[in-house]
Amino acid sequence: MTCEQLRQQLAEYLAERLDADEREAAAAHLASCAGCRAEAAELGEVWRGMESLPEGAPGAGARKRFVEVLRAYQAGQAAGPVHTMPRRAWGWAPRAAVAASLLVMGALGGRYLTPPRTAGEAGDVAQLRGQVESLRQLVTLALLEEQSPSARLRGVTYAYQMRQPDREVRQALLYAVNRDSNVNVRLSAVDALGKLAGDPTVRQALAEAIPAQDSPLVQVALIDVLVDLRETNAAPALRALAQNAQANEAARQRAAWGLEKLEASQ
Amino acid sequence: MEAVRAGETGRLEELFDRYRQPLCRYFLHLTFDRATAEDLAQETFFRVLKYRRSYQPETSFRAWLYQVGRNVFHDHASRGKGEVAMPDETRGLRSLDAPPDRQVERNEDSALLRRALAALPREKREVLLMSRYLDLKYEEIASVLNCEVGTVKVRVYRALRELSDRFFALRGERAS
Repeated sequence: MTCEQLRQQLAEYLAERLDADEREAAAAHLASCAGCRAEAAELGEVWRGMESLPEGAPGAGARKRFVEVLRAYQAGQAAGPVHTMPRRAWGWAPRAAVAASLLVMGALGGRYLTPPRTAGEAGDVAQLRGQVESLRQLVTLALLEEQSPSARLRGVTYAYQMRQPDREVRQALLYAVNRDSNVNVRLSAVDALGKLAGDPTVRQALAEAIPAQDSPLVQVALIDVLVDLRETNAAPALRALAQNAQANEAARQRAAWGLEKLEASQ
Repeated sequence: MEAVRAGETGRLEELFDRYRQPLCRYFLHLTFDRATAEDLAQETFFRVLKYRRSYQPETSFRAWLYQVGRNVFHDHASRGKGEVAMPDETRGLRSLDAPPDRQVERNEDSALLRRALAALPREKREVLLMSRYLDLKYEEIASVLNCEVGTVKVRVYRALRELSDRFFALRGERAS
């Protein structure tokens, strides 16, 4: 083993993660090289010293809060659908729209991925890009109408990837947050809407969604997003939840925590 | 984790009990804030629950978990909340009952080491915390960071080397 190899294995040596052969080779090198021996002693002191630094052990309430949210999630899953999204009469149409739109998006995408050569072409590319974005919005809306939760999740993912979802997509996401039968879809929709922090209507709607939720997991996700956004208008909703003795304990605790954070940020 | 992935979500409690402490310690030395560290650890497990179906059973669960945790931290940091000012105090530091030649003996040394660690660039601190507190092997760190094992070896050594230089400089035993 060379000095360089020893240095590169030093952390694993100090952590006692080397296998027997590697450890023997390192020990043999250290026995014969005073420079590496000195460095190993110095870095070893620091390595062992790190053990004395704070552990960040979770507080007693952390586990309780986690288990309560987990139980609420399981209860939500076991209960199955709690709302039914209204379907349009043309039930076959969303799938057809998705298929057709994906084909068109593929064709247009292929064109606009080719670098433009002239100013005229650059204008065309900008126009095509706009068309692809519009189609992406259409696909998203169609997917959000699907019966299958995994398809609706894909729709939310599409929305999440958009730079600027239009008003209709935003409303579909808000609808998903409030009414979707699947908790995972609702959670993902909360994440997607969290990106649209610049829109005061979205922020207001997220705050209003808290009391309407029957899933503590979604309530917690909404609270986290609103606290991140420092949305002080959400304070009344958080206060009401924190004081609601009938509400889930984990959601109430998170609401109290969020209220504290919002008040501190004012 | 395979059971959790298959729908036995209650088994996540066992994983929470096993991994929450190293995660909290990792986050604590990235954010310097205990409450934030706890929140990020909880968020990590909520994401594990949410994205459980994306876990590939043939891969290392620890590496996947800490990759999720790393993403949680980076999302948190990207919102401009990466770190708060590190309190310059020794309160809460604990000494060990290990023999004197196996530890940094005094609380003052611990405070200096904590300052030295906080002064490391985040990328170096992160890789060192993975090796020291998450007990990840080089191969697992490479998987979390999505880079070559050789790169990890170099990064961990350089991080430890720089931490040592900063620590001994703070202790007045070396020019800073």
